[in-house]
Amino acid sequence: MRKGLIQATDAFERIVHWSLAISCLILCITGLGMMFHSLNFIGTLMGGLKSLKYVHNFTGVFFAVALYFTIRMWWKEAGVFSMPEDLEWMKVAGGYVWHVDKVPEVGKYNPGQKAFFLAVAGCGVIMVVTGLIMWFPLSFPAGLVRWMFVLHALGFVTIFAFFFVHLYLGTIGSPGSLPAMLSGWVTRAWLKKQHPKWLAEMEHEGKLVVYGEEKDLTGHGHHTA
Amino acid sequence: MAEKTKLIDLSKCTGCRGCQLACKQWNQQPASQTAQLGTYQNPPDLQSSTWTLIRFQEVADKDNVKWLFRKDGCMHCTDAACVKVCPSGALYYTEYGTVGIHHERCIGCKECITACPFDIPRYDPITDKIYKCDLCLTRIEAALEPACVKACPTGALKFGDKTDMLKLAYKRAKELGGDASVYGDKYVDGTHVLYVLPEKVSVYEKLPLKPSVPLSIIVWKDLLKPLSLLAAGGVIAGSFLHYIIHGPKLPDEDQNQKGGE
Repeated sequence: MRKGLIQATDAFERIVHWSLAISCLILCITGLGMMFHSLNFIGTLMGGLKSLKYVHNFTGVFFAVALYFTIRMWWKEAGVFSMPEDLEWMKVAGGYVWHVDKVPEVGKYNPGQKAFFLAVAGCGVIMVVTGLIMWFPLSFPAGLVRWMFVLHALGFVTIFAFFFVHLYLGTIGSPGSLPAMLSGWVTRAWLKKQHPKWLAEMEHEGKLVVYGEEKDLTGHGHHTA
Repeated sequence: MAEKTKLIDLSKCTGCRGCQLACKQWNQQPASQTAQLGTYQNPPDLQSSTWTLIRFQEVADKDNVKWLFRKDGCMHCTDAACVKVCPSGALYYTEYGTVGIHHERCIGCKECITACPFDIPRYDPITDKIYKCDLCLTRIEAALEPACVKACPTGALKFGDKTDMLKLAYKRAKELGGDASVYGDKYVDGTHVLYVLPEKVSVYEKLPLKPSVPLSIIVWKDLLKPLSLLAAGGVIAGSFLHYIIHGPKLPDEDQNQKGGE
């Protein structure tokens, strides 16, 4: 830790994030193992494809719990668009795709992150519901279960693709972002570039937790929820 | 190897259920306790231990009651929905065009049960696997006919090369005339079990009028499955291009921290 770093996330947020992320990753890998015969060997690593099925199903239960906390925790910050500034941001794609002199300032989460959150939350719920029905297919009409397979695959197409976007923008695509989810402490320069409005608001309200500054050590809780 | 087909001529079936028993005997499947349900059909449905079943049906005519028997079981589709969905390769096409099953590979996901347009596979919760007719694959491999065919006393069941069975089926349907028809060769790219039905198809219970691989299964396996890799690949390629063309989003000031960690 270094003096002057700013706390962007609290421990609870990071635990929930990584619970969701790791279970999601395990689900993707085990799911792929069942989706493609050529990837059946992933099951071998777990003691057979049947074991893989159980790993997938029970990780799904863990994922559902993590998803519940994720949605409850981030719904207000990342689940609701605030107009018109979010629209302005979207019009210039946040300055991510072409050069923009002045990117409109948005809150703690930009519309891209909000879209990602909504996609994960929406598809996550679809995955949990369809997955549960697929787990007990004999308790439902076959015609319904068949379309659950389709929705489950559709959710996977979305989540799997979004996963790589998230991976890119969380690491080399936006250097300085990763610490927000590792230690939780980020640099002021990164905040100024990524979340200037949030930084200004927090400073204005005196809620900013800066490392090395004695004040506000009580503010370790979940500050914005 | 020539494709093999079983022909079921229902006009010759007397409902003796010799085939049902022979199937259990050859495949070493136990009988299960049943109750009288007011029908001669017994057991009431296909089971994980009952791979073929004579369905009994009473159909009222003008002043007559007709008794219909139909031997139900796996149709051995050429384009089999069960093989399409099976995640482990437990269900597979044999060299005879039939659908075989490697039980040691079955993970009990039950996807085939949902996908099958004929509602054939059955799940056994004790072994956590599914079961269905494999047209006595081991017997076919030994140049024997399936156990059910061997047991049939009336000649309602025949087994042989697909082309011969088709010829025989159409000849018999023509002989019978009236509502008689051949069922199986026009669906799912042709089944390896053919019926000669003396009555209209719609008369028979649990026999689909136009069986096909369900649209949902096609969307799932032929569209979304490849799309998942395509989409992910596109995103990875897009991210790489973004990095080398547009570049990452960097904080404005110079930082003295190490790396982008």
